[in-house]
Amino acid sequence: MILLLLLVPSALGGIAWAVGRRPITRAVLLGAAAFELGAVAAAWAGMDFGGAAGSYLGLDSIGLVFLTIMALVFAGAALAVPGFFQESGASPRKEAVFVAELLVFLAAMTGVILARHLALLWVFVEATTLSSALLIYSEKKKSSLEAAWKYVFICSVGIALAFVGIILLSIGSRSVDSLLFSDLAARAGEINPFWLKLAFAFILVGFGTKMGVAPIHAWLPDAHAEAPSPVSALLSGALLNASFLGIARVQDIMVKAGLGAFSNTLLIVCGFLSLLVAAAYLLQVVNYKRMLAYSSIENMGILCLGLAFGPPGLFAALLHSAAHSLSKAAMFLTSGNILGLYGSKAIGDVRGLIVREPRTGWIWIVSFLAVAGFPPFPAFISKFLLIQVFFAAGSGWMAGPFLALIAVIVFGLGSAVFKMAFGDPPEAVPASALSWKPDVSAVVPQIVFLLILLGLGLSLPETVRSVLRTAAGLGG
Amino acid sequence: MAGLLIILFGTTILYLFAAGRIESFVRTLALQGFLLFLLVVIDVGEISFLNIAFLVLETLVVKTVVIPFFLLRVIRRNEIGREVDPRRPQFFRLILAVAIFMFGFLTAFWAARTGSIGQPLYFGMSISMIIASLFLIVQRRRIIIHILAYMTLENGIFLLSLSVAHEMPLLINLGVLLDLFVGVFLLAIFFNTIQDLYDRGTIDVLTKLKD
Repeated sequence: MILLLLLVPSALGGIAWAVGRRPITRAVLLGAAAFELGAVAAAWAGMDFGGAAGSYLGLDSIGLVFLTIMALVFAGAALAVPGFFQESGASPRKEAVFVAELLVFLAAMTGVILARHLALLWVFVEATTLSSALLIYSEKKKSSLEAAWKYVFICSVGIALAFVGIILLSIGSRSVDSLLFSDLAARAGEINPFWLKLAFAFILVGFGTKMGVAPIHAWLPDAHAEAPSPVSALLSGALLNASFLGIARVQDIMVKAGLGAFSNTLLIVCGFLSLLVAAAYLLQVVNYKRMLAYSSIENMGILCLGLAFGPPGLFAALLHSAAHSLSKAAMFLTSGNILGLYGSKAIGDVRGLIVREPRTGWIWIVSFLAVAGFPPFPAFISKFLLIQVFFAAGSGWMAGPFLALIAVIVFGLGSAVFKMAFGDPPEAVPASALSWKPDVSAVVPQIVFLLILLGLGLSLPETVRSVLRTAAGLGG
Repeated sequence: MAGLLIILFGTTILYLFAAGRIESFVRTLALQGFLLFLLVVIDVGEISFLNIAFLVLETLVVKTVVIPFFLLRVIRRNEIGREVDPRRPQFFRLILAVAIFMFGFLTAFWAARTGSIGQPLYFGMSISMIIASLFLIVQRRRIIIHILAYMTLENGIFLLSLSVAHEMPLLINLGVLLDLFVGVFLLAIFFNTIQDLYDRGTIDVLTKLKD
């Protein structure tokens, strides 16, 4: 049963690739999105996907949270793909190959979320790199080649170091003799602390590279800026979360082994460094897709900070991850529309978005409010909860630098977003851009995401709260 | 015997740092694969037949033949002969290689004293191979060297995983190998494209994206 979650997207990808005709490709893509949403809905309704204790794959609460986010972001990206191909005028064959790669990428990310075995999780993380590399290069330009090269190479080396971490962990856990998360967590006390610490450092570097936390974030702005917008939305809204999940699972073992103080320090350092890097670059960035990428680094930093503060912190981090993924996906999808309307990725070339295309302009502004965490959006609640957690843990002083850096980041993001939205539209716009208009499918996903966020922010439904609490280890 | 093989594996670090021709770099890669194959045959203890068969396939077929052969083709296709790096004299490179090699021995010595590792020599040499590969990646400007160093990094990690007595499940091993395989092919495809687009395969051409 649980295998279906992996096999259906891969099989659909195979069909798209083999047939190569446009209507089939589009039907397959929407079918995959519907399947994901259906599976997630069934899981929320309490359906058991199998995968008993001791098996390699399984869906637990924290997995369900990330699977849900991924299914939503994927559905949004799937709706945007036909529009993207209309814009670029590529052949049906190209579109089929793109969709096939997208579906294999989806299957790999699902694997990361479902894996219950450390080495299997590693295999799937590496598979996400390989399946998404060609997606980043799909525009076949020099700049996208550079981005794809950096992405594959940096992530492959990072992931290789994570594998060193896994081997070190198995050296230290000879008596446990298993790499299943459940065994490692249950017998964490038997693991040699020296090897476990060393292993955690390597795994944090490895999965952290994939997650894009500073100081190992170098690939992230390039890849996010050069990938087609639906892919950027998936990278930011789903892939980074999946890598975070890998770190969270190992952190659980660290805490149970009594080494929480060590791992928390590393996570806090990475978290604040990410905020610092994002703040420094957001003040001077000139490309709006790179701007969104730096904001993703910031939010990954926030997730690391949450993870370092036990179950209440993880609760805030999970809520924040939902808030960030949906709002950032909305922004990336909208950035695709802006690129179509203005034919440029430079912030300076985009003016008067509200006048030029009111729907896109307003979505751009509202998604910014959601990303930045203005009330009533849930990112406000999660950041507020995190500050509360700082004080409860006796580290209230952290709230100072945290708020200061967030303020700089929101200022940087906001000044660019408002500059783009208001003012008079520029007179010189490429001819191809003048005729382009976003159709309904290019705005509906963003509106749905923002409505979901608004709903979560105004009142968190009891079922959602209880799943988040279970996932964070607070008890239902 | 196994100890000798591991030290031979370690000495390839010296060769990697000194090699002037890229093709000899690839031959070293194949030699490493073959040494790993011998180690698997001689030294791996009680594991299932299926696992042994898999490890032999991985070392002898993939690491010794397929990947080096494939990389040689990529190199010949792009007509790269010599690795010219005038900024660093060979003497300096060799000193660095010796230092890393020494570090491997010291690590092995230290690991033997802590007593928590069954086979300290495996541990020391694989760690120094990993460090040497990372050095090569950071130091060299040719992209093809980066791919080759990525492969030696993987070989170092493979040696490290051999030192772990209990076996990884076969399924995982398969996944790891598949990832490695696809990774190398993908890197080579991108390398070919970079070479075609820029007519030069060094990282200096990849500086368009920045803030």
